[in-house]
Amino acid sequence: MKGRIVSLAAGSQPDSRSATQYRMLSRLFRERLTREMAFSMVSCVHCGACAQACHYALARAHDPCMTPAYKADQIRRMFNRNMNWICRILSGRLNAGTSAADADMERLRDIVFGACTGCRRCTFNCPIGVDNAALIRFTRGILTEMGVVPEGLSNASRNQWLSGNQMSVTEEEFFDSLDWIKAELQYELGVGDLDILVDKKDCDIIYAVNPREIKYDPHSLMNAAKLFYLAGESWTLPRYGWDQTNFGLFSGDDRLGAFMAGNLYRAAERLRARRIVVSECGHGYRSVRWEGYSWANNQQTIPTESVVETVMRYLIEGRIKVDRLRNTGSVTFHDSCNVARYGGLVEEPRWVLKQVCSDFREMYPNGVNNFCCTGGGGLLTMPEYRPLRLEVARIKADQLKVTEADTVCTMCHNCRDGLGDLIDHYQLNMKVVQVMDLVAEALVLPPGNEGNINE
Amino acid sequence: MSEYLRLLEHDIHIAALSFMGLAYAIRAFWLFSFRPVTEKSLPAGHPSRTVASSLFTVARPWTIEKHRRTPVFYAQFVVFHIGAAAAISLTFIIPHWPELLAIEAVVRLMQVTLIAAFVAGMARLYRRLSDPSLRLISTWDDYFALVMMNLFYVLGAWTISNRCGACGWIVLTFFLVAALIHLYVPFSKIVHYLYYPFVRYYLGKAMAHRGIGRYVHPEESSWRNKL
Repeated sequence: MKGRIVSLAAGSQPDSRSATQYRMLSRLFRERLTREMAFSMVSCVHCGACAQACHYALARAHDPCMTPAYKADQIRRMFNRNMNWICRILSGRLNAGTSAADADMERLRDIVFGACTGCRRCTFNCPIGVDNAALIRFTRGILTEMGVVPEGLSNASRNQWLSGNQMSVTEEEFFDSLDWIKAELQYELGVGDLDILVDKKDCDIIYAVNPREIKYDPHSLMNAAKLFYLAGESWTLPRYGWDQTNFGLFSGDDRLGAFMAGNLYRAAERLRARRIVVSECGHGYRSVRWEGYSWANNQQTIPTESVVETVMRYLIEGRIKVDRLRNTGSVTFHDSCNVARYGGLVEEPRWVLKQVCSDFREMYPNGVNNFCCTGGGGLLTMPEYRPLRLEVARIKADQLKVTEADTVCTMCHNCRDGLGDLIDHYQLNMKVVQVMDLVAEALVLPPGNEGNINE
Repeated sequence: MSEYLRLLEHDIHIAALSFMGLAYAIRAFWLFSFRPVTEKSLPAGHPSRTVASSLFTVARPWTIEKHRRTPVFYAQFVVFHIGAAAAISLTFIIPHWPELLAIEAVVRLMQVTLIAAFVAGMARLYRRLSDPSLRLISTWDDYFALVMMNLFYVLGAWTISNRCGACGWIVLTFFLVAALIHLYVPFSKIVHYLYYPFVRYYLGKAMAHRGIGRYVHPEESSWRNKL
């Protein structure tokens, strides 16, 4: 990771493979660069303020290559060589160069996939406003197009293309899990009329989930089903398009992004749903609520929200009742980057947590200044970068330790795994839960309907 | 000497400014030729306030981590940039409004500003040379632009003292450096002051669209997803 990327300076003779890659790079730059990114490409003054904002740079202070500006500069050099007419004339002087040989590409891959979670903290802390995170994602997209992409990320992306969900869950597995969840809930609540409907038309809510809720962690979906039942909600899951996650966001592949988000939008349209609700998933929320509409070139026509916003709405409307004394342990909240810095949800989860927990305590910094859990940017699917990820997780671990809370709560599946990993690594005495876990625990059942909840 | 000075103060200064303006226009045209991002999602926030906050980030040091942690860095930034404005103003004051320099307070204020900017500039140069991560990201242009500005400040401060004195070569050098800076700026990092409003506007607009960075009480449930 140390040292500059080897560059083909102006006038040097690339071999034929490099020349092909160079032409491809040039074409992709021309096709994909937006005005906002072009301004970010030309505006960095190398003041180094971003180093104070990045958990990689803070945790590895001895390694100058971790500075966000350095990482962005590797992309900027390609931009300067390919697009910037001034730098093409004065390439040796104005930080111009291009990475086109295989080794250069692999090194660039390690930087943009392995040494940045795209958390956007550097962007928010750049005096100029240079969007390094956007540049990193842009480069990921170019490398993905060129086939220089970590295997784990590539596999998950392939699964999404082929099966419509990242874990290749079959329809049989999907219905099996729903049947199990339904049976469990009917027993827990002591009711026989609870159902989980699939592909029902004209519902108020179409609910999209993370495939792990089907395959490994059905309790998340169970919590949502319980919530909807108690709120008397009319809701459905789509038969196809239920995966709200989107590896196009991580790989920078906007076509995959459009495909995955489009599956859900089309399902909502087909089923004439009045609102799209996504389960607790940071990048899923960001993809479905924000970028997805632009990727899919689909003008948003119905409200789209996170299930945490739905809970807030139910509480405000008095559709559900909660008892905060059912969660008496100390709870702190970790803001997912995709939810807070990219999505604008900062107060909503806190408001809900204060309704369902008796001892909520803030972590500092928080909100849009929070540090990444280190599992963002798809890094959990790239085991080759795990040692570095856990090393820089020291920043988050220190933040967690100071709160002295028993539980850290988040509203993102990736954060849950990322935090769990660092809690094990740094031997913190904490457990990780999601907002819906605490909400489900605090839900008050209607009188005479206590069911078998204690069992 | 005075003939050279007249040429530098007026003709060359105007020619350099015109060149700079032309280069700016070409660069702006080039940057605006890239396609803008089109938002298809419904907005969640009110743009004007967030965009304004974004544009005035330089005046809100508490919003930037580096400025919060090291206020000296922010103070250097402020002094350095005020110095830039003062030095550039001087290139107009000397030829067009020399009577202003007859006021003792103006002269002293200018000198103090320019000397403070020079000190801040030297501190920035030292930081760039001594910090390994800054050294790694620094380019030839980063050093050259900083040295050039420092020279501009020190010559500016000296010029005010010698405006009516015998050392005409100092004034001459000051205007020569000013012309060089005008010619060099469009090709260097110094041009960031031109990009700043655009970069900040686009970031602020994107944030405003998503309701980021603005406190809204959650019980105002209708603000989000308004159709």
